Amino acid sequence: MEIGDEQVGETRVIAPRGRVDSVSSGELERHLMARLDAGARRVVIDLAGVDYISSAGLRVLLVAAKRLKPPQGALVLCGLGPSVRTVLELAGFMSLFAVEPAREQALARASGSSAP
Amino acid sequence: MSAGQTRRLSVPATDEGIKAALDALERLWAEQGVSRAVTWPVEVSLDEVLANVVHHGLEGRGEAARVELELQFEPGDPPRCEVRVADDGPAFDPLAAAAPDTSLGVDERPIGGLGIELVKRLMDEVQYERRDGRNHLRLVRRLLPMEH
Repeated sequence: MEIGDEQVGETRVIAPRGRVDSVSSGELERHLMARLDAGARRVVIDLAGVDYISSAGLRVLLVAAKRLKPPQGALVLCGLGPSVRTVLELAGFMSLFAVEPAREQALARASGSSAP
Repeated sequence: MSAGQTRRLSVPATDEGIKAALDALERLWAEQGVSRAVTWPVEVSLDEVLANVVHHGLEGRGEAARVELELQFEPGDPPRCEVRVADDGPAFDPLAAAAPDTSLGVDERPIGGLGIELVKRLMDEVQYERRDGRNHLRLVRRLLPMEH
């Protein structure tokens, strides 16, 4: 798995690519947790390059959401293709996350969240 | 019309084995020219099922434990895919587990059981059988886009 990672203003943008399955999700979790441990509090996860996500990947998103709960933190998902969106919907995850269509809107939402 | 394809493979009950199985499925789609837009539910389901077997059923037995797979593709309109997974771990019917509550909030949400619930919702047919001291799971899906 490739993981794109860039800082845009005060927001960290993480962009995994390929399959987010039971094998690769560990890598994504270590990457995200390292960023959070280093102090990232506003995070956008851009899923546009993801082929599909299974429950192991959902678990990683859930762990990140718990650590980035407002008002101290902000987590916004974007770039959901049909497969990722369907799995999040079937799992009842859409209501747990702030979701925006694309990175631009996600960045605006993450930075617009109440300040820590 | 081209004939159906069946692949049999045996993978170790490890993360490497899961990766090998998902790679084999991906190769099969590529050879048959089927789009990921219709195959992803099968890939997600195979990952869920194998993660269950490797991390629970055969936990700790490592390289010595094997999982036998049969990947079957039948062309048609729509094409049909059947996946069979067999392991010799302790008897365990994943389909018997209670469905998780998918309405809870971030703090209360358990993640256990979610994988198998996804499999049930993504596949057309899912069957479990304990036979000859082995667990057998059979998954079937017609390769159509998911409907909402």
